[in-house]
Amino acid sequence: MLPKKVKKRASLLTIFLLLSVIGVFLILNALNKNILYFNSPTDIKISQDINYNKKMRVGGMVKKNTLNINDQEIRFIITDFKNEVEVSFKGTIPNLFAEGKGVVAEGKLQDKKFFIAERILAKHDENYMPPELKNIMKENAE
Amino acid sequence: MINDLILMDGYGIFVWSSFIFTFLVCGIFYYKTRKTLKKYEKEFAKEINELSVEQKKIVLENSKIASKILSSYNKTI
Amino acid sequence: MLNYFYNSNIFTWIEKLTNFINSIFFALLIAGLSFALVFSPPDYLQGDSVRIMYVHVPAAWISLASFSCIALLSIFNFIFKIKHLTLITKSIAPIGLMFTCIAIVTGSIWGRPTWGTFWAWDARISSMLILALFYLAFIFIHKLVSDEDRANKISSIVAAFGLINIPIIKYSVEWWSTLHQPASIKITGSSSIHSSMLMPLLLMFFVLIMYCALIFLMKYKTEIIRIKKKNLKRL
Repeated sequence: MLPKKVKKRASLLTIFLLLSVIGVFLILNALNKNILYFNSPTDIKISQDINYNKKMRVGGMVKKNTLNINDQEIRFIITDFKNEVEVSFKGTIPNLFAEGKGVVAEGKLQDKKFFIAERILAKHDENYMPPELKNIMKENAE
Repeated sequence: MINDLILMDGYGIFVWSSFIFTFLVCGIFYYKTRKTLKKYEKEFAKEINELSVEQKKIVLENSKIASKILSSYNKTI
Repeated sequence: MLNYFYNSNIFTWIEKLTNFINSIFFALLIAGLSFALVFSPPDYLQGDSVRIMYVHVPAAWISLASFSCIALLSIFNFIFKIKHLTLITKSIAPIGLMFTCIAIVTGSIWGRPTWGTFWAWDARISSMLILALFYLAFIFIHKLVSDEDRANKISSIVAAFGLINIPIIKYSVEWWSTLHQPASIKITGSSSIHSSMLMPLLLMFFVLIMYCALIFLMKYKTEIIRIKKKNLKRL
């Protein structure tokens, strides 16, 4: 059997860890909204208290065939496949920004359907493969 | 070909800087760790050599580690 | 069993292991680097910038693994009071801190061409920064608290508390929306990274693990000499 002292220290540490896990969990739960790096179009649609003067981020996929680039601005639609937000942006975009790929736009919401971005970030997925393989996959899909 | 390797389609600066950063930091850290080890070995050897002959004998007979430290120090100089 | 880690033959073992690693290290390093920089294919989307992964990901893995190691050994040490475990945790901590910094810096360099920004306060990156702070706390407690028993006690508690951060880092990309992409390599199920890129990644990981072993052995040796020197004074 373990000596009494060891048992005492073990139970002390267990209680300490249990309490701190609960504490951290509560803190994270309380901060939940702030930890999110961006909101999805659905989050915006259901949200009741939107501050239109505060900077925020919207993230999702660039909807296919909606990217429209002209001299003055870049326009596209961010979708999470349930709801959509239209985005207008002036400035440079990252290399990885493309239709059908992930995107995070930072700026101000005008209304629930229209967003003026000040900065565009590309969000890529966790798939890595050589380009030849991607081409083969594309051909197979077609 | 060498040019391709250095430029990497314009990503070269990012790729090379992260590789060079990593290995530079690793190298410096290795050097520092080694230097500290040598310093401690040296100090230890010095302290043993300052002991009287009998004490030195006792220490080296009782502790294999002490004699090992001493021998590895002697090897490096 | 524990004497195995701290018997009079320990120096012979350390020397043997160091010599063995030294003999294979440079061959491995050259193989790893040439695969990472030359032979591995570019990514279909990210192009050549994907090569940063070969230092970023192993560094991040090592930083998480070594903190878990420190925390578990610290808990063990706190409960059973095995002095020699402290030598091990103290030897691992600087390695972990260094790799946490490498992971953050290379990640930041990688973020610029892919995301379009060096830094984002998303959950993954912030929790990595907190990990670095835990490492710093652990190291500085040992440096600043002169009474060794007290230093061990406090640092053990800090490490045990920091252990909670590890699953947060791991799952941050799944629990919250982050700019950082989800994990490509999963413990269960298939990974979403092609084998021609997975192989160099694992090779680089192995190279850096060997490097860690070299540093660890040197640090561990230094700690033992320090203890022996103290004992010498008591004579």
